[in-house]
Amino acid sequence: MARMKFLCDADRCIECNACVTACKNEHEVPWGINRRRVVTINDGKPGERSVSMACMHCTDAPCAAVCPVDAFYTTADAVVLHSKDICIGCGYCFYACPFGAPQYPKVGNFGSRGKMDKCTFCAGGPEADNSKEEYEKYGANRLAEGKLPLCAEMCSTKSLLAGDGDIIAQIYKARVIRRGYGSGAWGWQTAYSETIAT
Amino acid sequence: MLIKRAERQARRGSLAAAIGSQTAGGVDRRAFLRKSGLVAGGLATIGALPLGSVRKAEAAGSYVAGATIRKNICTHCSVGCTVIGEVSNGVWVGQEPGWESPINRGSHCAKGASTRELVHGDRRLRYPMKLVNGEWTRISWDVAINEIGDKMMEIRNKSGADSVYHLGSAKFTNEGAYLYRKFAAFWGTNSVDHQARICHSTTVAGVANTWGYGAQTNSYTDIRNSKTILFIGSNAAEAHPVSLQHILEGKESNRANMIVVDPRLTRTAAHATEYVRIRSGTDIPVVWGMLHHIFKNGWEDKQFIEQRVYGMDDIRKEVAKWTPEEVERVTGVPGAQLERVAKMFATEKPATLIWCMGATQHTVGTANVRAFCIALLATGNVGGPGMGANIFRGHTNVQGATDLGVDIANLPLYYGLVEGAWRHWSRVWEVDYQYFVDRFDKSTGPDGKVTNTMNTPGIPSTRWFDATLLDQKDVKQKDNIKAMFIMGHGGNTVTRVPQARKGVEKLELLVVCDPHPTTWASMSPERKNGTYLLPIATSYETNGSRTASNRALQWGEQIVKPIFESKDDLEVMYLLAKKLGFAEPMFKNIKVENNVPVPEDILREINRGGWSTGYCGQSPERLKSHMANQRDFDMLTQKATTGANKGDYYGLPWPCWGKPEFKHPGTPLLYNTNLSVKEGGGTFRARFGLEREETLPDGSKRKVSLLGNGYYSKDSEIKDGYPEFTLGVLKKLGWDKDLTPEELAVIAKVNPATPDAVSWAIDLSGGIQRVAIEHGCVPYGNGKARANAFGLPDAIPVHREPIYTPRPELVAKYPTLPNAVQFRVPNIGFDVQKAAVDKGIAKQFPLILSSGRLVEYEGGGEETRSNKWLAELQQDMFIEINPGDAAERGIKDGGWVWVTGAENNSKAKMKALVTERVGKGVTWCPFHFGGWFEGVDQRANYPKGTDPIVLGESVNALTTYGFDPVTGMHEPKATLCQVRAA
Amino acid sequence: MTGLLTRVRFVAGALALAFIVAMAAPVSAQQPASVNPTASAVQEQQLLKELNKIQGRGTIPDVKSYVLEHPAGQEWQHFHTVTLKWIGAVAIIGTLGLLVIFYLVRGSVRIERGRSGIKIVRFTGFERFVHWMTAVCFVVMALSGLNITFGRALLLPLLAPETFTAISELAKYFHNYLSFPFTLGVVLILFMWIAGNIPNSVDVEWVKRGGGIVGHDHPPAYRFNAGQKAIFWIQVLGGTAMVMSGYVLIFPFYGTGVAGMELAEMVHGIVAMLYIATMLGHIYIGSLGMEGAFEAMGEGTVDLNWAKEHHSLWLEEEAVRGSGEVPREAMTRPAE
Repeated sequence: MARMKFLCDADRCIECNACVTACKNEHEVPWGINRRRVVTINDGKPGERSVSMACMHCTDAPCAAVCPVDAFYTTADAVVLHSKDICIGCGYCFYACPFGAPQYPKVGNFGSRGKMDKCTFCAGGPEADNSKEEYEKYGANRLAEGKLPLCAEMCSTKSLLAGDGDIIAQIYKARVIRRGYGSGAWGWQTAYSETIAT
Repeated sequence: MLIKRAERQARRGSLAAAIGSQTAGGVDRRAFLRKSGLVAGGLATIGALPLGSVRKAEAAGSYVAGATIRKNICTHCSVGCTVIGEVSNGVWVGQEPGWESPINRGSHCAKGASTRELVHGDRRLRYPMKLVNGEWTRISWDVAINEIGDKMMEIRNKSGADSVYHLGSAKFTNEGAYLYRKFAAFWGTNSVDHQARICHSTTVAGVANTWGYGAQTNSYTDIRNSKTILFIGSNAAEAHPVSLQHILEGKESNRANMIVVDPRLTRTAAHATEYVRIRSGTDIPVVWGMLHHIFKNGWEDKQFIEQRVYGMDDIRKEVAKWTPEEVERVTGVPGAQLERVAKMFATEKPATLIWCMGATQHTVGTANVRAFCIALLATGNVGGPGMGANIFRGHTNVQGATDLGVDIANLPLYYGLVEGAWRHWSRVWEVDYQYFVDRFDKSTGPDGKVTNTMNTPGIPSTRWFDATLLDQKDVKQKDNIKAMFIMGHGGNTVTRVPQARKGVEKLELLVVCDPHPTTWASMSPERKNGTYLLPIATSYETNGSRTASNRALQWGEQIVKPIFESKDDLEVMYLLAKKLGFAEPMFKNIKVENNVPVPEDILREINRGGWSTGYCGQSPERLKSHMANQRDFDMLTQKATTGANKGDYYGLPWPCWGKPEFKHPGTPLLYNTNLSVKEGGGTFRARFGLEREETLPDGSKRKVSLLGNGYYSKDSEIKDGYPEFTLGVLKKLGWDKDLTPEELAVIAKVNPATPDAVSWAIDLSGGIQRVAIEHGCVPYGNGKARANAFGLPDAIPVHREPIYTPRPELVAKYPTLPNAVQFRVPNIGFDVQKAAVDKGIAKQFPLILSSGRLVEYEGGGEETRSNKWLAELQQDMFIEINPGDAAERGIKDGGWVWVTGAENNSKAKMKALVTERVGKGVTWCPFHFGGWFEGVDQRANYPKGTDPIVLGESVNALTTYGFDPVTGMHEPKATLCQVRAA
Repeated sequence: MTGLLTRVRFVAGALALAFIVAMAAPVSAQQPASVNPTASAVQEQQLLKELNKIQGRGTIPDVKSYVLEHPAGQEWQHFHTVTLKWIGAVAIIGTLGLLVIFYLVRGSVRIERGRSGIKIVRFTGFERFVHWMTAVCFVVMALSGLNITFGRALLLPLLAPETFTAISELAKYFHNYLSFPFTLGVVLILFMWIAGNIPNSVDVEWVKRGGGIVGHDHPPAYRFNAGQKAIFWIQVLGGTAMVMSGYVLIFPFYGTGVAGMELAEMVHGIVAMLYIATMLGHIYIGSLGMEGAFEAMGEGTVDLNWAKEHHSLWLEEEAVRGSGEVPREAMTRPAE
C-alpha cells in the first residue's frame, strides 16, 4: 500500500496559489479556513523561495498524539484524518502541529471555535466514502475515486507533488540531479524524520 | 448517535478495504489499484520519467456519479488552459484537471483553479438594471434594449455615429469579437476597442512593423527548447503562471539561462539565474546597451542579418551612442552585468525574449517592442524552435479579439481601413460597399475636403474621456463622445481615473454589458440617470473559439446555461442590431436560433474572409475535433502524432492557410524556414514593399531590396525572396494553370476589372494561397524583417524619458515626442513633460510609481474580486515600498498610507507592503483594485448584492498622462508619486 | 525543560539574527554586478538549523499562517504526552499515597479535649461563599483538566468514543467558563485573607514543631498556621499562574503565538498537577484528616477546644478584641 506524502519543490513554486483555490473549490472550504497556504521565505530578496504547505500527514503525527479525545486516525495509505464527531475543538493539535495545519471555523476563544478542520489529502473522513455526510464535513474523497489531491494535480508548475512517498521522492531526486540544485524537501525531516538525499 | 469503539475502528480501516466493500459504487477494486499506476503516471508527466501509458490511467478516473464533462478555456490569461467542468443537473459541481491538454496538462493558477465560482454567481448581476435618479431599478430585457436603442439613435441623429463609443472585450469568443467589430461597422464607427489597447497594442504595432504579423512568434511550450530565456517587463509567474511550468522545466532540463530584467525582483525573478534591476522606462537603453556589447564583440549573427534583415546598419549607429557608462547613467545597470547578459543572449542559442506590459505600457511602448525585435534579429534568434518573440498576452482571447478587429484601426484580421479592406469584407458579408459608406459620419476638413470617417482610425479606449471632456473643436470628429457602450471591459484599467470619473458624469448614455456591474457603475455617485447594466454570461456559459497567445484556437463548450437572466454577447448584439435596424444584413449568412446567433456559422464566415492572417482553415469541425482528441497531441511539438488530426498542430495556430479542406496543419512557429509552408513553415512577410530608396551620405540615392536575400523556407521552388502572391504573380511564374476553373471564377468575381491584381489576401476562393503553398511558397511573400521600420514615428527606436521622470536632467537629451493630434485627439505629452520638469514635480513626488498584476486577480478585477476563493487571498489594496523609503517616512509594513500622484491632486489610501522587491526610490501597486476613491469606500454605489467582496483604491487614480504615438497606449508603468503614513 | 531552554535559545537567536540582518541591510542604490537568485536560494535545512523555525510572508490576514514550519511543536508534544503525564502521575498518585499512609499511621487528628460544645465563628458567610465558589470551580476544572491529560488513557477505553467526546466537550466548556468565577475567587481570597497570611516568627516555631501533625503537639498559631499560609500562597500564586496561562490558551493568538501558547500549556500543566496535589492535602486535612476542621468552612464555626488546640493565638486575639463570640472563660485557660 502506498505511503502518501506531499512534497513541495520550492524551486518550482511560484506562489500562484492554485493549490489554495483548488482546495477551496474541491471541498467548498469556507472563507477564513485555509487548509493549504503558500508562504514566501526571504520575500523580495535574491534567494526568495515560496513553499505551499498544508497538513503533511506526518509519520507519528503529533496532532494525533496530543489529541485528548483520540479524534485522529491514520489510514492504510498513511493519511492522517480525524473525526469531527469526536473532535472537541480544544486546539491542542494546533500547538503540536509543526506546520500550522489545523484550522478552526470560528475566531475567538477555544470554547467556541468549533470543530477542527484540516487538509484530508482529499481522502474525506470516517463516513462512507463520497457520502453526503462525508462531503459536508470533510469535502470530497478523491482518493476513493482513484484520484490524487486536487492541489497537486492542478499545481501550475508541477511543484507540489502528492502521492506515494517513494515515487515523489524519486521524482524530486531526479529533478535535482538534472538541474543541479534543490532547496530541500521542505517539511520532510520534520514530518517523516527523513529527507531526500541528492 | 453513539457507536461502539470497535465499530469505529472497523470503519476507520484501510481505504482499500473501504473501497473493496463497496464495489457497487463508482470505483471497483481494480480501478482503485490502478491508482498506484495513476500516482506513478500522473507524476511521471511532472518529472523526468517517461510518459508511457500514463494518459490512459488518468482517463480511468471516475467522476461524480451522473456528472457530464464539458471542456472550456480559462478566461484569465492567454495561456489557454483547458477547464474541465463536471455538470450535474445543469449545475457545475466540480472541476477536474484537464490532463489531456497539451498546453496546461492539468495545471491551473489560482484563478483557473477557481473558475467554477464564477457561475455560482454570488455577486453576479442578475437582471437588467437602470439608474433612475440615483437608484438602481430592475427592468426587463425588452425595455432595456428598446430604451438603449432609442437613445443610441437619438445621439446618432444629433451628434453622429462616432459619438457612440463601442468598447469591447478580450473575453469575447472569436465569434463575439468578430461580431462586435461587424456591429460597429454596421453602426458606422471605427471607435471600437478592447483591452489590447492598454496591454499589447504597442506589441502588435511594433512586431507587425518588424516582420509582418503582430503576435507571439513561438509558443509557451516551445520555450522548453530555449537555452537562454530573457524576460523584460514580464512577471509571468504572476501573470501567466502555467507558462512557468514550461519555462522552469526548460530551464531545468537545458540548464538554460533565465534572465529577468525588471524594476522589481518579482516572483519570476526569484527563479532567474540572473536578475537585472533597471529603472522603469529605460528598456531601450538596456537593449541598446546589450547590442553595444554584441556589436563590439562581433557576437551578432552576420549571415542572418545579411539575408533576412533590412536596416541593421542604422541600428549600429544609434547603438554606438550607448556606451556602458551612458547606459549605467540612464538605467542603473552596470556594464559588466549587461555584457554578460548580452553574451548569453547572443551566443547561448536558441534564445528567446519574453515581454509583457512592463515594456508595452509606455509612451515608448512601440519603440521598446521594436528594440526587442531588433535584438532578436541581430542575434539571429527568430524563426526556429526555442527562439523568437514570446509575447505573453493577458486574456483568454485578447489575441483573437485583436485578430478579429476589435480595434480602432482595423477591420477583422488586419485588413486596415482602406477602401480595399472595406470592399473585401463587403464581399464576404455580401453587403453592398456603399451601405457602409453611408453609415459613417463625414467630416469636412479645414481645406474643405470631405473625408469619410470609415477610413480614419477611431478613438483609443485610453482617450474616450478626453473625447468626452475636451472642447468639441479639439476632437476631430463630428461631435464629442456622448455614449459609451461597453461589453466586458473594466472602467479602472485606464490611467487618469479622476478624469474618467468626470467623463462618466458627462455621458448621456452609459451601457455596461458584463457579468458584474464593474467600476463603471460605481465610479461616480454624481451620475444619477442614463446608466444601464445588462447581465452577460461569462465565457463558461457560451460556445465558441478562443485564440491563445500562441495563435492556437480552442473551441470551448458551454459548461452551464447562462445563469439568472444573463444572455451571452452574441444574443445581445443580435437584439440590439435588430432594434437598430441592421440585423437582417448583418446576420445574412449567420443562422439565429432563439435570438442567439450560431457561433459555428460565425466562425465559418470568419474562415471565408480570414485569408490575410490564415484564419481560413480553422473550421468549427476541425477545432472541435482537436478539443475532443487533445490526447493525440504531443506537448513539446504541439503536433498530433495519431488519430483523426494526425499531423495537425494543436489548435491550428494561425496562419492556417487555405480552406479547411486544404488541411493546413497550422503554424506553430512563425517564420520557421526549416519547415515547408505546407507543414507550418514560413518566412518573414514581404509587407513593406519590394525595395526602398535610400539616401547615402554623399546625397546620392540607391534602391535597396526588401525581399529575402538568398534565403527561403524548406521546399520553396523560388530559391530567393519573392513578393506577395497575386494572380498576376502566379501568371508570371506560370503557376496560374494550377488554379481550378472554380477558383478562377471566384477570383474574377472579386475584381472583374483587373483580376491580376487580386491577391492571396482577398481571393475568396483560396486558390492563390493553395497554389503558392503547393509550390512551397508563402502566400504573403518572402521579405526581410525591418530593423529600420520606416514610417513609424521613431523608425529607429530612441530612448525617451517618461513624461513624469525622476531624472528631469535627462529630459533635455531624451525628450518625449512633440505634441501632435493622434487618433482624432491631441497628444500634448511634450508640454506635460516640459511643465513637469519646470515645476520640479520630481522633487515633490520623488518615488517612481509602477503597476502590475497579482496572480489572484485579473484586469480591473471586479470579476475576480467577486470570487470568494480569490478575494480571500488579497483583501487589501497595497503599495510596495522599499524598507529604506518606508523608514524615512515612518511607514510600517501593513500600515495605512496616503499615496499622492502628480496630476489631478490625486490621492489614494492603501496599505504599505514594505519589501525589497522594489528598489530604493521605487513603488509598485497592483492594478486590479477599484471601488474606493480618495480614501472613501464606494460600495454603496453598486446595485445591492453585486458589490465585489474586496474593494480598494485604483492605482489608476494616481497614474498620469502619456500616450504612445503609434497606438495611443497609456503610461501606467512609469510615473511619480509620494507616500506618507496615514 | 530542555524544550523551554531550546525555545529561549532560539528566541534569543532569532532576535540576534534579525538585528544582524537589520544592520547588514544597507540602503544602497548601488546595484551589484551579479545577482543569481537561483544560486542564492534559501535552503530548508540551513534555516531550520539557524532558527528552528521558518517564517515568511503570506497574503491572507491570518498572520500566524506565515509560519511555515516550527518543529518545536514536537518537543511540546513530548512534554504533553510523556513528561506531563509523569509529573501528574507522580504528584497526584504520590500525594494520594502519602495521605493514605499518613491516615493509616496517624489516623484522624482528634480534638484532644473533646468538644466543648461552645462554637466560635471562624469564617463569615462571605468568606465561606468565596471559598466554596473557588473550591467548586477548582474541583470541576481539576477533573476536566485531568480528563484532557489522562481521559484518553483512562476513560476512553471504558466509554463509547462519542460518549467520551460528549463528556469531554462539556468538560471543556465547564473548564473554560468556570475560569471566570475561579479567577474572581483567586482575587477575593487574596484580599480577604492576605492579612492573616503574612509569614511571621510564630510560623518558624510551628514549622519546627512539624505543625504538631506528628504526635500530639499543638504549636501555637494565629488565625492561620504556617501550613494554611502555605496553602494560601500556593492558592494565590498557583491560581494566578493557572489563570494567566489558561487565558493565554483560551484566547489563542491574542498577543501570543504558537510558541507562547505551548509555553503557557506547559506552565498550566505543571502548575496544575502540583496545585492539584497540594489541594488534595488541603482537602484531606480539612475533612478526613482532622476532626472539627471541616466545620470551619462548612458551618463557619469551630469548637472552642479545636480553636484552642490549633489556633491558640488567634483565639487570644479574638478575645482581646472583645469579640462577644469568644467566651471569657476561654482566656483564662493557658494555651498549651
